[in-house]
Amino acid sequence: MRTSSEISRRHRLLILDTGPIRELVLFHAVSEFRLENLRRSLRFIKDDRSYKSCSEYVASFGQMTTTSASVVVELYHWIRETEPYGRSKLWRRVYEEFRNMGMDEEVVKLLDMDVSFVMRFGPVDGSLLELARRHAGKNPVILTTDSPLYGECKKGGLSVSHIHEITMSERW
Amino acid sequence: MDVMVSNVNVPPPRANRVQAWVYAILNPVIESFRRELQLFEKGNVSWRFYSKKCEYIRPVVEYVDGNQLPNYEDFLADGINEGFSASIDAHDSAVSAVETAATTFFDGLMRSTLFLNEVKKAFDEYKLLAHGKPQYPDPDSIERDLPKYIAEYLINRTDLLPSHYTTHKFWEEFRNRFELSAAEFAPYRQRESFQAFKRSVHILKEISQGLLAAFEKHRYGLCSTYDIPAAPIPTVMSHSVDAYVIRNK
Repeated sequence: MRTSSEISRRHRLLILDTGPIRELVLFHAVSEFRLENLRRSLRFIKDDRSYKSCSEYVASFGQMTTTSASVVVELYHWIRETEPYGRSKLWRRVYEEFRNMGMDEEVVKLLDMDVSFVMRFGPVDGSLLELARRHAGKNPVILTTDSPLYGECKKGGLSVSHIHEITMSERW
Repeated sequence: MDVMVSNVNVPPPRANRVQAWVYAILNPVIESFRRELQLFEKGNVSWRFYSKKCEYIRPVVEYVDGNQLPNYEDFLADGINEGFSASIDAHDSAVSAVETAATTFFDGLMRSTLFLNEVKKAFDEYKLLAHGKPQYPDPDSIERDLPKYIAEYLINRTDLLPSHYTTHKFWEEFRNRFELSAAEFAPYRQRESFQAFKRSVHILKEISQGLLAAFEKHRYGLCSTYDIPAAPIPTVMSHSVDAYVIRNK
Protein backbone atom coordinates (compact mmCIF):
# COMPACT_ATOMS: atom_id res chain seq x y z
CA MET A 1 0.00 0.00 0.00
CA ARG A 2 1.42 3.33 -1.05
CA THR A 3 1.41 6.29 1.28
CA SER A 4 -0.19 9.61 0.41
CA SER A 5 3.24 11.18 0.16
CA GLU A 6 4.15 8.65 -2.54
CA ILE A 7 0.96 9.37 -4.42
CA SER A 8 1.57 13.09 -4.34
CA ARG A 9 5.19 12.49 -5.36
CA ARG A 10 3.97 10.94 -8.60
CA HIS A 11 3.00 14.35 -9.88
CA ARG A 12 6.35 15.87 -9.05
CA LEU A 13 9.53 16.02 -11.08
CA LEU A 14 12.72 14.26 -10.00
CA ILE A 15 15.97 15.92 -11.06
CA LEU A 16 18.90 13.53 -10.92
CA ASP A 17 22.44 14.55 -10.10
CA THR A 18 25.41 12.53 -11.38
CA GLY A 19 25.94 10.48 -8.20
CA PRO A 20 22.58 8.65 -8.10
CA ILE A 21 22.78 7.83 -11.83
CA ARG A 22 26.30 6.51 -11.34
CA GLU A 23 25.20 4.36 -8.38
CA LEU A 24 22.21 2.89 -10.27
CA VAL A 25 24.34 2.16 -13.33
CA LEU A 26 27.16 0.65 -11.29
CA PHE A 27 25.03 -1.61 -9.12
CA HIS A 28 23.15 -3.00 -12.10
CA ALA A 29 26.46 -3.59 -13.90
CA VAL A 30 27.89 -5.39 -10.88
CA SER A 31 24.84 -7.49 -10.03
CA GLU A 32 23.50 -8.32 -13.50
CA PHE A 33 26.61 -8.32 -15.62
CA ARG A 34 29.23 -9.38 -13.11
CA LEU A 35 31.49 -6.39 -13.61
CA GLU A 36 32.95 -7.16 -10.21
CA ASN A 37 35.89 -4.81 -10.46
CA LEU A 38 33.38 -1.95 -10.29
CA ARG A 39 31.96 -3.02 -6.94
CA ARG A 40 34.54 -1.03 -4.99
CA SER A 41 33.30 2.14 -6.68
CA LEU A 42 29.85 1.80 -5.11
CA ARG A 43 29.40 4.26 -2.26
CA PHE A 44 25.71 4.17 -1.34
CA ILE A 45 23.96 1.32 -3.17
CA LYS A 46 25.85 -1.69 -1.94
CA ASP A 47 23.24 -4.44 -1.80
CA ASP A 48 19.91 -5.52 -3.29
CA ARG A 49 17.94 -3.87 -0.50
CA SER A 50 19.43 -0.41 -1.02
CA TYR A 51 19.13 -0.77 -4.82
CA LYS A 52 15.46 -1.69 -4.45
CA SER A 53 14.84 1.29 -2.15
CA CYS A 54 16.46 3.70 -4.57
CA SER A 55 14.73 2.14 -7.58
CA GLU A 56 11.32 2.39 -5.87
CA TYR A 57 11.98 5.96 -4.84
CA VAL A 58 12.76 6.98 -8.42
CA ALA A 59 9.73 4.97 -9.65
CA SER A 60 7.46 6.82 -7.22
CA PHE A 61 7.84 9.91 -9.39
CA GLY A 62 6.01 8.10 -12.17
CA GLN A 63 8.86 8.33 -14.67
CA MET A 64 8.93 12.12 -14.35
CA THR A 65 12.72 12.26 -14.31
CA THR A 66 15.15 14.64 -15.87
CA THR A 67 18.76 15.66 -15.70
CA SER A 68 21.05 18.20 -17.31
CA ALA A 69 23.49 17.75 -20.19
CA SER A 70 26.21 18.86 -17.75
CA VAL A 71 25.52 15.71 -15.72
CA VAL A 72 26.14 13.61 -18.83
CA VAL A 73 29.50 15.34 -19.23
CA GLU A 74 30.26 14.53 -15.60
CA LEU A 75 29.36 10.88 -16.28
CA TYR A 76 31.84 11.02 -19.14
CA HIS A 77 34.57 12.28 -16.80
CA TRP A 78 33.78 9.47 -14.36
CA ILE A 79 33.87 6.75 -17.03
CA ARG A 80 37.12 8.14 -18.41
CA GLU A 81 38.72 7.47 -15.03
CA THR A 82 37.72 3.79 -15.02
CA GLU A 83 39.68 0.90 -16.49
CA PRO A 84 39.87 1.23 -20.27
CA TYR A 85 38.43 -2.13 -21.24
CA GLY A 86 35.29 -1.61 -19.14
CA ARG A 87 34.40 1.83 -20.49
CA SER A 88 32.33 0.66 -23.44
CA LYS A 89 30.27 -1.56 -21.11
CA LEU A 90 29.65 1.35 -18.77
CA TRP A 91 28.53 3.60 -21.59
CA ARG A 92 26.12 0.90 -22.76
CA ARG A 93 24.78 0.70 -19.22
CA VAL A 94 24.33 4.49 -19.05
CA TYR A 95 22.43 4.46 -22.34
CA GLU A 96 20.24 1.58 -21.15
CA GLU A 97 19.55 3.29 -17.83
CA PHE A 98 18.46 6.51 -19.52
CA ARG A 99 16.37 4.60 -22.06
CA ASN A 100 14.73 2.27 -19.56
CA MET A 101 13.83 4.92 -17.02
CA GLY A 102 12.53 7.30 -19.69
CA MET A 103 14.94 9.99 -18.57
CA ASP A 104 14.65 13.45 -20.05
CA GLU A 105 17.77 15.57 -20.55
CA GLU A 106 17.97 19.33 -20.80
CA VAL A 107 20.62 21.86 -21.75
CA VAL A 108 21.26 24.69 -19.33
CA LYS A 109 23.30 27.54 -20.71
CA LEU A 110 26.09 29.04 -18.64
CA LEU A 111 24.52 32.48 -18.96
CA ASP A 112 21.29 31.13 -17.46
CA MET A 113 23.10 30.19 -14.25
CA ASP A 114 23.84 32.41 -11.32
CA VAL A 115 27.52 33.35 -11.57
CA SER A 116 28.17 33.42 -7.83
CA PHE A 117 26.69 29.93 -7.47
CA VAL A 118 28.77 28.59 -10.38
CA MET A 119 31.89 30.09 -8.80
CA ARG A 120 31.15 28.31 -5.53
CA PHE A 121 29.68 24.98 -6.65
CA GLY A 122 30.52 24.61 -10.34
CA PRO A 123 28.38 24.47 -13.49
CA VAL A 124 26.93 20.97 -12.90
CA ASP A 125 25.26 21.86 -9.60
CA GLY A 126 24.36 25.21 -11.15
CA SER A 127 22.55 23.45 -13.98
CA LEU A 128 20.53 21.35 -11.54
CA LEU A 129 19.42 24.42 -9.61
CA GLU A 130 18.46 26.11 -12.87
CA LEU A 131 16.37 23.04 -13.81
CA ALA A 132 14.63 23.27 -10.43
CA ARG A 133 13.90 26.93 -11.11
CA ARG A 134 12.77 26.20 -14.68
CA HIS A 135 10.32 23.51 -13.50
CA ALA A 136 9.18 25.23 -10.32
CA GLY A 137 5.54 24.53 -11.25
CA LYS A 138 6.15 20.77 -11.08
CA ASN A 139 7.38 20.82 -7.49
CA PRO A 140 10.81 19.45 -8.40
CA VAL A 141 12.97 17.38 -6.08
CA ILE A 142 16.74 17.10 -6.59
CA LEU A 143 18.27 13.70 -5.83
CA THR A 144 21.98 13.92 -5.09
CA THR A 145 24.95 12.29 -3.37
CA ASP A 146 26.63 15.66 -2.99
CA SER A 147 26.45 17.01 0.55
CA PRO A 148 27.35 20.66 -0.27
CA LEU A 149 24.61 20.78 -2.94
CA TYR A 150 22.21 19.11 -0.51
CA GLY A 151 22.98 21.72 2.14
CA GLU A 152 22.65 24.61 -0.29
CA CYS A 153 19.25 23.35 -1.51
CA LYS A 154 18.03 22.98 2.07
CA LYS A 155 19.24 26.46 2.88
CA GLY A 156 17.43 27.85 -0.15
CA GLY A 157 14.19 26.01 0.63
CA LEU A 158 14.42 23.69 -2.40
CA SER A 159 13.19 20.10 -2.14
CA VAL A 160 16.18 17.81 -2.08
CA SER A 161 16.92 14.19 -1.15
CA HIS A 162 20.29 12.70 -0.39
CA ILE A 163 20.63 9.13 -1.67
CA HIS A 164 21.80 8.19 1.81
CA GLU A 165 18.31 9.02 3.16
CA ILE A 166 16.76 6.74 0.55
CA THR A 167 19.05 3.75 0.90
CA MET A 168 19.17 3.82 4.68
CA SER A 169 15.44 3.95 5.29
CA GLU A 170 12.86 1.21 4.82
CA ARG A 171 10.41 3.70 3.39
CA TRP A 172 11.39 7.21 2.41
CA MET B 1 79.30 -16.98 -11.37
CA ASP B 2 78.77 -14.45 -14.16
CA VAL B 3 76.50 -16.91 -15.89
CA MET B 4 74.31 -17.26 -12.76
CA VAL B 5 73.96 -13.49 -12.39
CA SER B 6 73.06 -13.29 -16.04
CA ASN B 7 70.35 -15.93 -15.56
CA VAL B 8 68.77 -13.90 -12.77
CA ASN B 9 68.79 -10.56 -14.51
CA VAL B 10 67.95 -11.43 -18.06
CA PRO B 11 64.35 -12.38 -18.76
CA PRO B 12 63.77 -15.67 -20.51
CA PRO B 13 62.76 -15.21 -24.13
CA ARG B 14 59.19 -13.90 -24.49
CA ALA B 15 58.79 -13.09 -20.75
CA ASN B 16 57.74 -9.45 -21.23
CA ARG B 17 55.46 -10.35 -24.10
CA VAL B 18 53.89 -13.17 -22.11
CA GLN B 19 53.26 -10.76 -19.26
CA ALA B 20 51.48 -8.44 -21.68
CA TRP B 21 49.37 -11.34 -22.97
CA VAL B 22 48.36 -12.36 -19.45
CA TYR B 23 47.45 -8.88 -18.22
CA ALA B 24 46.09 -7.26 -21.34
CA ILE B 25 44.53 -10.22 -23.17
CA LEU B 26 43.92 -13.30 -21.05
CA ASN B 27 42.69 -11.61 -17.87
CA PRO B 28 39.97 -9.43 -19.44
CA VAL B 29 38.99 -12.23 -21.84
CA ILE B 30 38.68 -14.80 -19.04
CA GLU B 31 36.61 -12.37 -16.98
CA SER B 32 34.36 -11.72 -19.97
CA PHE B 33 33.88 -15.43 -20.64
CA ARG B 34 32.90 -16.00 -17.01
CA ARG B 35 30.33 -13.24 -17.43
CA GLU B 36 29.07 -14.86 -20.64
CA LEU B 37 28.51 -18.16 -18.82
CA GLN B 38 26.74 -16.44 -15.94
CA LEU B 39 24.38 -14.83 -18.46
CA PHE B 40 23.78 -18.21 -20.12
CA GLU B 41 22.87 -19.66 -16.72
CA LYS B 42 20.08 -17.08 -16.48
CA GLY B 43 19.12 -17.64 -20.11
CA ASN B 44 19.95 -13.99 -20.75
CA VAL B 45 21.86 -13.39 -23.97
CA SER B 46 21.58 -9.59 -23.47
CA TRP B 47 20.17 -9.16 -26.98
CA ARG B 48 18.82 -5.68 -27.74
CA PHE B 49 16.20 -4.89 -30.35
CA TYR B 50 17.63 -1.45 -31.15
CA SER B 51 21.10 -2.78 -31.99
CA LYS B 52 20.17 -6.37 -32.94
CA LYS B 53 23.25 -7.40 -30.97
CA CYS B 54 24.04 -9.15 -27.71
CA GLU B 55 25.27 -6.25 -25.63
CA TYR B 56 27.44 -8.23 -23.20
CA ILE B 57 28.34 -11.24 -25.33
CA ARG B 58 30.71 -9.96 -27.93
CA PRO B 59 33.41 -11.11 -30.35
CA VAL B 60 36.60 -11.74 -28.36
CA VAL B 61 38.46 -8.77 -29.79
CA GLU B 62 35.89 -6.48 -28.14
CA TYR B 63 36.84 -7.87 -24.73
CA VAL B 64 40.30 -6.39 -25.19
CA ASP B 65 41.07 -2.71 -24.69
CA GLY B 66 41.60 -0.97 -28.03
CA ASN B 67 45.08 0.20 -27.01
CA GLN B 68 46.10 -3.43 -26.50
CA LEU B 69 45.21 -4.67 -29.99
CA PRO B 70 48.90 -4.97 -31.00
CA ASN B 71 49.38 -7.33 -28.02
CA TYR B 72 46.25 -9.23 -29.07
CA GLU B 73 47.63 -9.65 -32.59
CA ASP B 74 50.98 -10.70 -31.15
CA PHE B 75 49.21 -13.26 -28.97
CA LEU B 76 47.44 -14.78 -31.96
CA ALA B 77 50.58 -14.76 -34.10
CA ASP B 78 52.90 -16.55 -31.68
CA GLY B 79 53.12 -20.33 -32.01
CA ILE B 80 52.99 -20.81 -28.23
CA ASN B 81 49.31 -19.80 -28.42
CA GLU B 82 48.51 -22.05 -31.33
CA GLY B 83 44.88 -23.08 -31.70
CA PHE B 84 43.35 -20.03 -30.04
CA SER B 85 42.83 -18.15 -33.28
CA ALA B 86 40.59 -20.90 -34.68
CA SER B 87 38.70 -21.28 -31.38
CA ILE B 88 38.13 -17.54 -31.18
CA ASP B 89 36.84 -17.51 -34.75
CA ALA B 90 34.42 -20.32 -33.83
CA HIS B 91 33.21 -18.33 -30.81
CA ASP B 92 32.75 -15.14 -32.80
CA SER B 93 30.85 -16.99 -35.52
CA ALA B 94 28.61 -18.52 -32.84
CA VAL B 95 27.92 -15.05 -31.37
CA SER B 96 26.96 -13.85 -34.81
CA ALA B 97 24.70 -16.92 -35.26
CA VAL B 98 22.92 -16.18 -31.96
CA GLU B 99 22.37 -12.56 -32.98
CA THR B 100 21.04 -13.61 -36.37
CA ALA B 101 18.74 -16.25 -34.87
CA ALA B 102 17.44 -13.83 -32.22
CA THR B 103 16.79 -11.24 -34.91
CA THR B 104 14.95 -13.78 -37.09
CA PHE B 105 12.74 -14.76 -34.14
CA PHE B 106 12.19 -11.11 -33.26
CA ASP B 107 11.28 -10.17 -36.83
CA GLY B 108 8.86 -13.13 -36.94
CA LEU B 109 7.10 -11.86 -33.83
CA MET B 110 6.90 -8.36 -35.27
CA ARG B 111 5.17 -9.84 -38.34
CA SER B 112 2.82 -11.99 -36.28
CA THR B 113 -0.62 -10.40 -36.19
CA LEU B 114 -1.56 -12.63 -33.28
CA PHE B 115 1.43 -11.48 -31.23
CA LEU B 116 0.79 -7.82 -31.98
CA ASN B 117 -2.87 -8.27 -31.05
CA GLU B 118 -1.87 -9.94 -27.78
CA VAL B 119 0.37 -6.98 -27.00
CA LYS B 120 -2.42 -4.52 -27.81
CA LYS B 121 -4.86 -6.44 -25.65
CA ALA B 122 -2.42 -6.49 -22.75
CA PHE B 123 -1.69 -2.79 -23.19
CA ASP B 124 -5.41 -1.94 -23.13
CA GLU B 125 -5.73 -3.90 -19.89
CA TYR B 126 -2.70 -2.12 -18.53
CA LYS B 127 -4.31 1.24 -19.27
CA LEU B 128 -7.35 0.21 -17.24
CA LEU B 129 -5.16 -1.07 -14.41
CA ALA B 130 -3.04 2.07 -14.43
CA HIS B 131 -6.00 4.42 -14.28
CA GLY B 132 -5.78 6.30 -11.01
CA LYS B 133 -3.00 4.10 -9.68
CA PRO B 134 0.19 6.04 -9.03
CA GLN B 135 2.39 2.97 -8.84
CA TYR B 136 1.77 2.27 -12.54
CA PRO B 137 3.95 4.26 -14.94
CA ASP B 138 2.03 6.39 -17.39
CA PRO B 139 0.81 4.12 -20.25
CA ASP B 140 1.88 6.77 -22.76
CA SER B 141 5.46 6.31 -21.62
CA ILE B 142 5.51 2.62 -22.60
CA GLU B 143 3.23 2.39 -25.64
CA ARG B 144 5.92 3.18 -28.19
CA ASP B 145 8.06 0.11 -28.95
CA LEU B 146 6.15 -2.07 -26.45
CA PRO B 147 5.97 -5.12 -28.81
CA LYS B 148 9.71 -4.78 -29.38
CA TYR B 149 10.45 -4.66 -25.66
CA ILE B 150 8.26 -7.70 -25.00
CA ALA B 151 9.99 -9.68 -27.75
CA GLU B 152 13.36 -8.65 -26.31
CA TYR B 153 12.31 -9.75 -22.82
CA LEU B 154 11.16 -13.10 -24.19
CA ILE B 155 14.47 -13.59 -26.02
CA ASN B 156 16.45 -12.71 -22.89
CA ARG B 157 14.11 -14.60 -20.56
CA THR B 158 13.82 -11.41 -18.53
CA ASP B 159 12.44 -11.95 -15.07
CA LEU B 160 11.58 -8.86 -13.03
CA LEU B 161 12.71 -5.41 -14.08
CA PRO B 162 13.91 -2.71 -11.66
CA SER B 163 11.02 -0.60 -10.33
CA HIS B 164 12.24 2.61 -11.95
CA TYR B 165 12.10 1.17 -15.47
CA THR B 166 9.08 2.39 -17.41
CA THR B 167 8.00 -1.14 -18.38
CA HIS B 168 8.45 -2.57 -14.88
CA LYS B 169 4.76 -2.76 -13.92
CA PHE B 170 3.61 -3.90 -17.33
CA TRP B 171 6.06 -6.80 -17.35
CA GLU B 172 5.25 -7.70 -13.77
CA GLU B 173 1.55 -7.95 -14.68
CA PHE B 174 1.75 -9.63 -18.08
CA ARG B 175 5.00 -11.59 -18.17
CA ASN B 176 3.35 -14.89 -17.34
CA ARG B 177 0.69 -14.43 -19.96
CA PHE B 178 3.27 -13.97 -22.72
CA GLU B 179 5.50 -16.72 -21.50
CA LEU B 180 2.69 -19.23 -21.04
CA SER B 181 0.51 -18.43 -24.01
CA ALA B 182 3.54 -18.39 -26.21
CA ALA B 183 4.80 -21.84 -25.18
CA GLU B 184 7.31 -22.67 -27.84
CA PHE B 185 5.76 -19.75 -29.71
CA ALA B 186 3.75 -22.06 -31.93
CA PRO B 187 0.71 -19.77 -31.84
CA TYR B 188 2.81 -17.01 -33.34
CA ARG B 189 4.20 -19.39 -35.97
CA GLN B 190 7.64 -18.88 -34.55
CA ARG B 191 8.27 -22.30 -33.10
CA GLU B 192 10.98 -23.09 -35.63
CA SER B 193 12.75 -19.76 -35.35
CA PHE B 194 12.67 -20.05 -31.55
CA GLN B 195 14.08 -23.58 -31.69
CA ALA B 196 16.83 -22.36 -34.03
CA PHE B 197 17.60 -19.55 -31.60
CA LYS B 198 17.79 -21.97 -28.65
CA ARG B 199 20.12 -24.25 -30.62
CA SER B 200 22.41 -21.36 -31.50
CA VAL B 201 22.61 -20.35 -27.83
CA HIS B 202 23.41 -23.92 -26.83
CA ILE B 203 26.23 -24.11 -29.38
CA LEU B 204 27.67 -20.77 -28.23
CA LYS B 205 27.47 -21.82 -24.58
CA GLU B 206 29.42 -25.02 -25.30
CA ILE B 207 32.07 -23.15 -27.26
CA SER B 208 32.40 -20.52 -24.52
CA GLN B 209 32.72 -23.18 -21.82
CA GLY B 210 35.47 -24.92 -23.74
CA LEU B 211 37.28 -21.73 -24.61
CA LEU B 212 37.14 -20.47 -21.01
CA ALA B 213 38.68 -23.69 -19.76
CA ALA B 214 41.37 -23.46 -22.44
CA PHE B 215 42.16 -19.83 -21.62
CA GLU B 216 42.36 -20.58 -17.88
CA LYS B 217 44.64 -23.55 -18.44
CA HIS B 218 46.81 -21.59 -20.82
CA ARG B 219 47.13 -18.67 -18.39
CA TYR B 220 48.19 -21.06 -15.66
CA GLY B 221 50.73 -22.65 -17.97
CA LEU B 222 52.20 -19.31 -19.04
CA CYS B 223 52.33 -17.95 -15.49
CA SER B 224 54.03 -21.12 -14.23
CA THR B 225 56.50 -21.36 -17.07
CA TYR B 226 57.52 -17.71 -17.04
CA ASP B 227 57.06 -17.15 -13.29
CA ILE B 228 54.57 -14.33 -13.83
CA PRO B 229 51.87 -13.48 -11.28
CA ALA B 230 48.40 -13.86 -12.77
CA ALA B 231 47.73 -10.19 -12.01
CA PRO B 232 50.07 -7.26 -11.39
CA ILE B 233 50.97 -6.90 -7.72
CA PRO B 234 51.21 -3.34 -6.44
CA THR B 235 54.37 -3.42 -4.38
CA VAL B 236 57.66 -1.66 -3.66
CA MET B 237 60.27 -1.51 -6.38
CA SER B 238 62.44 -4.22 -4.90
CA HIS B 239 59.51 -6.62 -5.22
CA SER B 240 58.23 -5.32 -8.52
CA VAL B 241 56.41 -7.80 -10.73
CA ASP B 242 58.39 -6.31 -13.55
CA ALA B 243 61.59 -7.36 -11.87
CA TYR B 244 63.43 -7.92 -15.10
CA VAL B 245 62.94 -4.36 -16.21
CA ILE B 246 63.83 -2.90 -12.81
CA ARG B 247 66.98 -4.95 -12.37
CA ASN B 248 68.19 -4.18 -15.87
CA LYS B 249 67.88 -0.42 -15.37
